[in-house]
Amino acid sequence: MPAKRVIPCLDVKNGRVVKGIQFKQLRDLGHPVDLARRYDQEGADELVFLDIAASLENRGTREAWVRGVARELSIPFTVGGGVSSVDDARSLLRAGADKVAVNTAASLRPDLVCELADAFGSQCVVAAVDVKRDADLGWRVYLKGGTEPTERAAVDWLWELNDLGAGEILLTSMDRDGTGDGFDLPLLDLASELPIPLIASGGAGREVHFLEALQHGADAVLAATLFHEGILPIPRLKAYLAQNDLSIRI
Amino acid sequence: MSALTLIDYDAGNLASLEGALERLGFAYRRAASPDQAMDSGPIVLPGVGHFEAAQRSLRERGWWSELPGLVAGGRPLLGICLGLQLLAEGSEEAPGVPGLGLIPGLVRRLGPGVKVPNMGWCQVRPGASHPALPDAEGAWLYFVHSYALEPSAETLYLADHGRPFAAVEARGKVMGFQPHPEKSGPNGLRLLRSALTWMGAASTAPEEPCQ
Repeated sequence: MPAKRVIPCLDVKNGRVVKGIQFKQLRDLGHPVDLARRYDQEGADELVFLDIAASLENRGTREAWVRGVARELSIPFTVGGGVSSVDDARSLLRAGADKVAVNTAASLRPDLVCELADAFGSQCVVAAVDVKRDADLGWRVYLKGGTEPTERAAVDWLWELNDLGAGEILLTSMDRDGTGDGFDLPLLDLASELPIPLIASGGAGREVHFLEALQHGADAVLAATLFHEGILPIPRLKAYLAQNDLSIRI
Repeated sequence: MSALTLIDYDAGNLASLEGALERLGFAYRRAASPDQAMDSGPIVLPGVGHFEAAQRSLRERGWWSELPGLVAGGRPLLGICLGLQLLAEGSEEAPGVPGLGLIPGLVRRLGPGVKVPNMGWCQVRPGASHPALPDAEGAWLYFVHSYALEPSAETLYLADHGRPFAAVEARGKVMGFQPHPEKSGPNGLRLLRSALTWMGAASTAPEEPCQ
């Protein structure tokens, strides 16, 4: 069995890593290559880059930093944001990304997942899903950075993604995101029934939250602020998880 | 000593591998077809994706028919990830589609009872000994795969996902890695360096380039 993974998530805008409070007041944290190198050295198991301003105009910029990251990094990384075709994915993979994440485009046209899996293999396809608790649906799927509700129940969409050939699920609880109150554990219980790996996202505030998420079936845990701000250094988190009998790469 | 030849056939993450080779100080060049590889250095066969699609792509570019002859003529060959699987006799991923047959054995789907793909860091353990490879005991390496070569008495490193599988296998100067050494931190770089040096590639970088 593989080790449980710890994954910093980096938001990228116009080729710079940024940090914002609910997308306002974006702060520049540096060049993707510099942060990638830092996390590689700190023992991150993998990185996720989300291009939050993905547009046709900045494709060239994106390819350039993806190429730079691939050359520097000796751990795998995923790139997402605005991937809506096999060609989009191909340009990222050719530039050196190991996996691509799809979200809105896959929801609008589910066959995209299938096409990507056929073209590059399921192991390259991360399906990112943003959900919010909902009285009718249990958890409802949202699109476009969480701004647009769908009529989909999370549980149905997750299984559909699995059937379409997604290789991994990156599941974000919008209710918990940014709260530091811990991951949405019942949501993880539900999603960990899937036969493909699950990355838990949204809500990490303390070491114990990561432990809980991994004990509730997540294969990997993702966070941003805690790592970027140095509030919880990755070596300390990994040592803590290993002490609690999880399989961790130290 | 000759430059490495990196087979470029649209089924590999060449950027990462090239980054690793550069950090390790190995000269290399991409080759889209065998006529661009007519010297004596090691050949690297990367690969991600589907067994049959990769086989077809290698066939269309002339590699499939040429590789056995190049190996028979003494060229070292290193397969990585799907590249290893293509060296075997065949894969459950594509029944009826032959592999190169340079390493005996079949590639089978992982599981049952475990999540597939196997995606992440696994510890390897030593099998048969090899003169050039570093001590494998407990080393973490990065894997992304749904299929794996069945282990044999000659498997060099083994890993487990539901059942044991071959992580590193070799026959003569044909070697295959199931993990991605270019994605496996310092352990992976060390492994890649050892294998390529043993295959006759010359590095211009000091021993521990990543520290």
